[in-house]
Amino acid sequence: MQAAGTPLEEGVTSVRSRKRFPWSFVLAGVAVLGALLYLVYANTQANAVYYMTVSELKQCTTCTVQSVRVSGIVQAGSIVRSGQSERMTFTVVDGKQTLPVVYTGVVPDIFRAGIQVVVEGHYYTESASASTLLPRPGSGSDLGQGLFQAQTLLAKCPSKFQTAKAPPQ
Amino acid sequence: MYFSDLGIVALILALGFALYALVGAVLGAWRSKRWLVASAQRSALVVTGFLLLAATCLIVSFLTHDFAVNYVAQHSSLSMPWYFTTAAFYGGQEGSLLYWATLLAVFTAIFVLTAKRVPEQLVPYVTATLMGIQSFLLVVLVSVSNPFVRSALAPRDGNGLNPLLMDPGMLVHPPLLLMGYMSFALPFAFALAALITGSLTSEWLRAIRRWMLASWTIQTAGLLVGAWWAYHVLGWGGYWGWDPVENAALLPWLTASAFLHSTMVQERRGMLKVWNLSLVIVSFALAIFGTFEVRSGIISSVHSFAYSAVGSYFLAFLVVIIVVSMALFFFRLPHLRSEQEFDSVLSREGVFLLNNFLLVGIAFATLWGTIFPLISAALRRQTMTVGPPFYNQVVGPLGVVLLLAMGVGPLLAWRRTSRAALWRNLRVPVVLAALCALILPLAGVTDVAANVGFAVCTFTASAIVYELWRGVRVRHGHGEGYARALYMLFQRYRQRYGGYVVHLGLVMLAVGVIGSHLFQVQRDAILHPGQEMSVAGYRFVYFGNVAKHEADQESITSQMQIWHDGQLQRYIYPGRTFYRNFDDQPASRISITTVGLTDLYVFLADWSGAAQATIRVFVNPLVPLVWYGGALMLLGGVLCWWPVRPHGGRSRKATHTAHAPVAQKTTGRVGV
Repeated sequence: MQAAGTPLEEGVTSVRSRKRFPWSFVLAGVAVLGALLYLVYANTQANAVYYMTVSELKQCTTCTVQSVRVSGIVQAGSIVRSGQSERMTFTVVDGKQTLPVVYTGVVPDIFRAGIQVVVEGHYYTESASASTLLPRPGSGSDLGQGLFQAQTLLAKCPSKFQTAKAPPQ
Repeated sequence: MYFSDLGIVALILALGFALYALVGAVLGAWRSKRWLVASAQRSALVVTGFLLLAATCLIVSFLTHDFAVNYVAQHSSLSMPWYFTTAAFYGGQEGSLLYWATLLAVFTAIFVLTAKRVPEQLVPYVTATLMGIQSFLLVVLVSVSNPFVRSALAPRDGNGLNPLLMDPGMLVHPPLLLMGYMSFALPFAFALAALITGSLTSEWLRAIRRWMLASWTIQTAGLLVGAWWAYHVLGWGGYWGWDPVENAALLPWLTASAFLHSTMVQERRGMLKVWNLSLVIVSFALAIFGTFEVRSGIISSVHSFAYSAVGSYFLAFLVVIIVVSMALFFFRLPHLRSEQEFDSVLSREGVFLLNNFLLVGIAFATLWGTIFPLISAALRRQTMTVGPPFYNQVVGPLGVVLLLAMGVGPLLAWRRTSRAALWRNLRVPVVLAALCALILPLAGVTDVAANVGFAVCTFTASAIVYELWRGVRVRHGHGEGYARALYMLFQRYRQRYGGYVVHLGLVMLAVGVIGSHLFQVQRDAILHPGQEMSVAGYRFVYFGNVAKHEADQESITSQMQIWHDGQLQRYIYPGRTFYRNFDDQPASRISITTVGLTDLYVFLADWSGAAQATIRVFVNPLVPLVWYGGALMLLGGVLCWWPVRPHGGRSRKATHTAHAPVAQKTTGRVGV
């Protein structure tokens, strides 16, 4: 431990009470805390995005004006990739409701029918010009409920941990 | 009798001995019966033996392809190479828990065998805590998460492991990270033992710091390997995505880093006792929370570790830990008073406190972002998530201030530093940083955030190097050669200089992160043979696709050339492989060419026939520095941890006296 008997330095009062409150530390601490809380609050406001299932999306009234994230399972047989461009359409389901999705971009390796995906983008209902987003207009896909244009496509990694189930026979 | 039967028996016996050890250690300490404590220690070693036996049984079941065991059938197949088959042991839920428990037992054994170095009154309670945690794991293993469950009919072949997971990175990353999570139990056990006995001595502090250092190093390794694997296999051109599972591994690392600094304050001046104990307990709680979050699925993540009742067991365990720790805390609060006071903010205590605030602040922000879906669902009835921009924008500024503190810290003295002395030490680094800030914009780097970041990194790196230089110069003045002086510095003041190495590594990593995050260039193009794409001064010429058919896989490879400055640099072959036995699961083979400090990352996004390919190119500047910096951090961690020769007292006293001359230099003359 350092010697307690250091000679007086400038600025130090001759009588130092042991109970002196470390105001400078408190001030510095409050400053850091304030900066942290501000950063967290401001960036949460700026970056929070709705995260919902397909059914919730259909029921949501404010979801067409902002970017949202939707999770669901890729319907078997619904993946259509157009040859020339990177555009791809598929349908996301969550048990009851379906959502057609159009996506332009690189597709993760794991992507296939039956896996769980999260798409982020905008949801266009019939009132918007949703039909122009399909690669082949009038191709027979039912537009009934609107179309989701995805900017980001996240596919879930292959499952690593599963409870013991009966093995395949 | 099958190996799996032996395994179940081993697990049950281990549980029995663990419970005995737990009760025996507590009773023995309470009633001061040495023989009971010694018996409990031996029982802990027996637990280790049985768990190793159980683990061996599981591995043997894998290697002998005993598909009647459900777990073996689910995670291996006849066609897997033996090293992946062995690795599949920890590849699933039940096996990874067995791996956890086995490692905890091994670390417990290490503790028991080196218990002589630990104050005697702590030993039984550390053993008891470890055996308590072990008992919990064994109860889960024996009941809901049993890897040895058999079926009546054995299938002919197993499911095998997903090809994306059959990769060298995947061999190393999970065991390292699981080991890291588990290793936080050791410092936690020491913390509880100190709270129960009320004795917080310097030997205790030394022991707990060394265990925490080991945990920190292992967790660093796990995080780095995970990032490396993501970069090399997944194809999105990055290495860290702020995914909930990644964040779960980062959280205890942050609190451990904070702890490693604040213990120095406690060691030096007897302060921050409550804070340090809290950090240790919080680190372990975060490790358990991370395990719970990953296996329970309450937070959706792209790492889909699917889900079972085990999650709720871990949640209950987490609650128990928190309740017990807090109860002990309040019980012992009178013993945890500070011995001294804070003097000046401009001191090493001050900068360590700042470091702690920032690290804990980053941890809080990361935790906030990770559980935000739960918070928003509870408060606003609408699940919301935040993505990487949130984390980058919050952690970025905090990280820059942290880097700055890292540079200033070693130049400050304990208790207080005079401004004159401080300026004398800071002169050189500040000038270099200012030079950097001036030169970079002239060299074309106009991004303000990058300039600030690089300037701060220059400041910190030069401050560290300057410190090293001053140390060497002092010794050289006493007659040692420069190289020997540097070696002797590391020999005698291992903790301090090992810390410098870690800091240098972190600065390097920060430079890599700034470069790759702010200056990444990405371009996609659809190419036909003979066509080329030009990205950041490099030309990528495409020649065509080659398909290859093998028994269990098909692959498609694009042949390309990289040109730079009119010269052919090399041929590259990005491609994809499809594994027939897994519904044609594709795995990318990404071509990463490192040119100096820039990575050329070429990814085959799509193709059509033999004469068309969609190529995505990322030019990632400074990414290699992320890996080099990380390796340097690991080296520094090992250096810090490396045991000092048995004359430990002399070395520690030497450290103190060594600090005195430095302190005198920094505080300067007394008075004016």
